[in-house]
Amino acid sequence: MAELAICTYCDVIHERVDLATRKTARCVNCDRPLYHSNTDLGAMLAITITAAVAFGVANTFPLMTLATNGQQTEATLWRAITASYVQDLPAVAVALALTLIVAPVLELGLLLWVLVPLAFGTRVPGFRSSMRLMRILRPWRMVEVFLLGVAVAVVKLSGLASATPGWGLFGVAVMTLALATLASFDLGALWRRVDEIGASS
Amino acid sequence: MTRGIDVGLAPCESCELVVRTHHRAGLCPRCAEPVHHRKLLWRPRAWALLVAAAVLYIPANTLVMMHTEQFPQHRDDTIMSGILYLVNEDAWGLGLIVFTASIVVPLLKILALAVLLVTTSRHSRWRRRGRTTLYRVLEVVGHWSMLDVFVVALLAAVVQLGRFAAVEPGPAVLPFAGVVVLTMLASAAFDPRAIWDEEAYD
Repeated sequence: MAELAICTYCDVIHERVDLATRKTARCVNCDRPLYHSNTDLGAMLAITITAAVAFGVANTFPLMTLATNGQQTEATLWRAITASYVQDLPAVAVALALTLIVAPVLELGLLLWVLVPLAFGTRVPGFRSSMRLMRILRPWRMVEVFLLGVAVAVVKLSGLASATPGWGLFGVAVMTLALATLASFDLGALWRRVDEIGASS
Repeated sequence: MTRGIDVGLAPCESCELVVRTHHRAGLCPRCAEPVHHRKLLWRPRAWALLVAAAVLYIPANTLVMMHTEQFPQHRDDTIMSGILYLVNEDAWGLGLIVFTASIVVPLLKILALAVLLVTTSRHSRWRRRGRTTLYRVLEVVGHWSMLDVFVVALLAAVVQLGRFAAVEPGPAVLPFAGVVVLTMLASAAFDPRAIWDEEAYD
């Protein structure tokens, strides 16, 4: 059977063709993307590591500092989560933790777990479940929305006190950029790489 | 154009490998996942989640989202009054962003999904490509409505200056987050391939 691709939006069957670099194949019927040629595992690994470091920065340093009458408060990601927990809204705290910490950490962790060995030509144990979990997690990480949220909060506070953005915000921004770049890579390419390894060994 | 359902081929949901099916069911040889031509029970699941989201949309917009204490004043803001406050403060660009993310996007998601569900159950041929694009838009904008929840949580975390100023999240936060999550789940449950189906395959 020739290599096929089926559009997940309209069910039309296509024959897979080799694309020039950084090109996307689109469905002839509904025009939705079918697959990308962005499959450089080394680049993918580099961006994943960048995102992981940026995530560390985002969690270590304050997102913003608020100053009034000599009093200073620093807002960190962790503090935003614990504050909602303390204020009798545990469900909100859980939602924040899931979308801003658990989902991105798991996604980046799983990606590193499969990518590093794959770059050296081996398949890790649990590759299948890792790939599945990554796909499930993707819609639930909301780092980019949070970035906009910090910007809105800083402006809202400007009437109340002097609010200054901190290094943590820079971390969130870099992570947003890195995750957006990662989304342009084709996860299916990892599966084809695994197939190649399986065929040669 | 040949469609997968007509020749018994379906893509694995997990790894996109094209798998041969027998009697509309298959098993992916690569990742051992069951393969279906259409998402399982997509129609009742999408409807149920959509109705739940529409119900929660009412308390999300009428209850208090944020309580602000700024001695000697205090105010209770719903989502809409929070936006009007931003506009009055001449931050209307920001007000527009919050208005789009918190009011327009959730409402549009609910209406658009309802339109998609009704037209697919009638096997309508009306603007199939356009409706597929509409579904794609739903997928992309889905989580942006979480914006206001993040803003309130952040403000509550940072503004705790004793009796001079304090911000507390209000009872609308929970139903509002519920609307966002439920509409995301509803659009994930919906199967866009049904837009192109001439008969019901579920």
